[in-house]
Amino acid sequence: MIVWVVRRVAASIAIVWAVVTLTFFAIHAAPGSPFMPENSENIDPQTIQRIRQKFGLDQPLPLQYLFYIRNVTQGEFSESFALHRPVADALAEAIPHTFLLALAALLIDFTVGLALGIYQAMRERTAGDIVLGNVALFVNSMPTFWLGLVLLLVFAQRLSAFPVGGIADPVFCPRINSAACVLDFVWHLTLPALTLGLVGAAGTARFQRAAMLEVIRQEYVRTARAKGLRERRVWLVHALRNALLPFITLVGLAFPFLLTGAVLVETVFAWPGMGQLAVRAILERDYPVVTGAALVTSTMVVLGNLIADVLYAVADPRIRVRGAGA
Amino acid sequence: MNIWNWVALGGAAVLALIVVGAARRRAGASASGRRFFRHPTAAPGLFVLAFFVLVALAAPLVAPYHPYEQIDVDHLQNHAPSTRYILGTDPLSRDVWSRVAYGARISLGIGALAMLVAVTIGAAVGATAGYFRRWVDTALMRLVDVGLAMPRIFALLMVVALWGHIAVPVLVLVIGLTGWFATSRLVRAEVLSLREREFVVAARALGARPGRVIARHVLPNAAAPIIVSAALGIGNVMLLEAGLSFLGMGVPSPAPSWGNMIADGWSKMAVAPWSATFPGLAISLVVMALNAVGDALRDALDPRREAV
Repeated sequence: MIVWVVRRVAASIAIVWAVVTLTFFAIHAAPGSPFMPENSENIDPQTIQRIRQKFGLDQPLPLQYLFYIRNVTQGEFSESFALHRPVADALAEAIPHTFLLALAALLIDFTVGLALGIYQAMRERTAGDIVLGNVALFVNSMPTFWLGLVLLLVFAQRLSAFPVGGIADPVFCPRINSAACVLDFVWHLTLPALTLGLVGAAGTARFQRAAMLEVIRQEYVRTARAKGLRERRVWLVHALRNALLPFITLVGLAFPFLLTGAVLVETVFAWPGMGQLAVRAILERDYPVVTGAALVTSTMVVLGNLIADVLYAVADPRIRVRGAGA
Repeated sequence: MNIWNWVALGGAAVLALIVVGAARRRAGASASGRRFFRHPTAAPGLFVLAFFVLVALAAPLVAPYHPYEQIDVDHLQNHAPSTRYILGTDPLSRDVWSRVAYGARISLGIGALAMLVAVTIGAAVGATAGYFRRWVDTALMRLVDVGLAMPRIFALLMVVALWGHIAVPVLVLVIGLTGWFATSRLVRAEVLSLREREFVVAARALGARPGRVIARHVLPNAAAPIIVSAALGIGNVMLLEAGLSFLGMGVPSPAPSWGNMIADGWSKMAVAPWSATFPGLAISLVVMALNAVGDALRDALDPRREAV
């Protein structure tokens, strides 16, 4: 088991390294550069030379790469071209924002999704199941950012019940330092979290319904029923506990979904997180921020998978035996 | 909308019904076909798909205006839906319905073609890895691990933004090239079990080359997961294209992809919600239909379900 975990961690680090390397060479291979003379004709060539020297862009590419990797292993992410601050600072500010958004979205996703899935499975093929199933399928098929726009239109624009964007009120709560400001933050968080959470919940519900229906046909469920247990107990204890196993995979898969969705949802709601940072950095050719963002996002994805695998092994003895043998 | 547009639209709906009916009759001949249509959402999903494909093909007939035509820039911006402009007009005074109809060509086309690229590569890589095993398998699957660790939209944004304005065929290729990882895993798993079966061993014993064994004996039997992931993949690509276009980095404006239309209408969402709402609804409907058909296909083609 421990050998297996160590191997998985090593593989994960190798994957992150590969993503960073790919990103590094991809952005440098792209035509143009952030400080090209032709898009800044009024600048003295000597100034450009100086800037290039400052950021190490005058070095040969392999050397730049080795330099970058050495710095990263020492926790240094170099300086952003456009933001006039270290990349680590910008990332450290953006990550908690995305993380909180993802957490709130996951909370909605899993509570609503699980409840719906279980309810649908218990009422299989009744009108309620069919209607909810179609609604879930529809919501799951929406472009996430479009749902965000519709929610914005209805709840922020027409009903004025929620703010149209941002993370906090810039006048009263420039920094979260009081209970009222925490509420203000939650108020700002609601619509983006709902957007991501509802689309996810629709998928979770579909998944969980199928998992429940697969388990309910197993023999130990028949045994439980034969013992004379109440139907509620059979479903919510005997069936649910086993149907939660495949759910663990979903936890791992939710990470990339939330990150991908967050890129667009953060744009719609002007949420200053990783997605916005990365999109802006790509547009501005801010190389260090792009590679930094690639490092962080791929780490999160790999970590999500790793956690799911470990949880799986902990929760399901059958996997553990196989995993130890492999 | 004039009377002929309505007639053409009605014709498309009737034709779509006929197509679904014909498909149902032909499917009745096989067990998996019957299982497919027993799925309650299969026939409606197929109808929606057939309808939008027909609208795309017959766009000049069902659309009253050219998608780029600015009908009256001074007086007809953000006109609410009416009998003349059934889905309203957008901020640039273009007929939203006409753009939705022509946009079906672009959105569906990109979805189908990019998926074709992705599934072809995914099947080839998965079959190669599963068939040859050992270092080939290890190398390809590590590559897949890396591909899956990078959020697809980041990779696409990087390519699209850094290489500047890229043409639609290149966009299709790039979307396809970033979408084959999951398919290849599925196909590999299938091939791993198929390669030990007697008919594959027999083909090898007869001296068939690996390429022939894979193409003629292994892949046709691994068709089920490939078809299902293709159906689900089109929807995924359409959502991605919409997202990219929304960020201004997908199909170049003024071409009417559905994602572009949401981006165009977004700024005037408060006064003219229809110009961003209807294209989004169109995407949701088509993706929903694709998911429904994909689900039904999975149930119909998965032999393990037969026992249940």
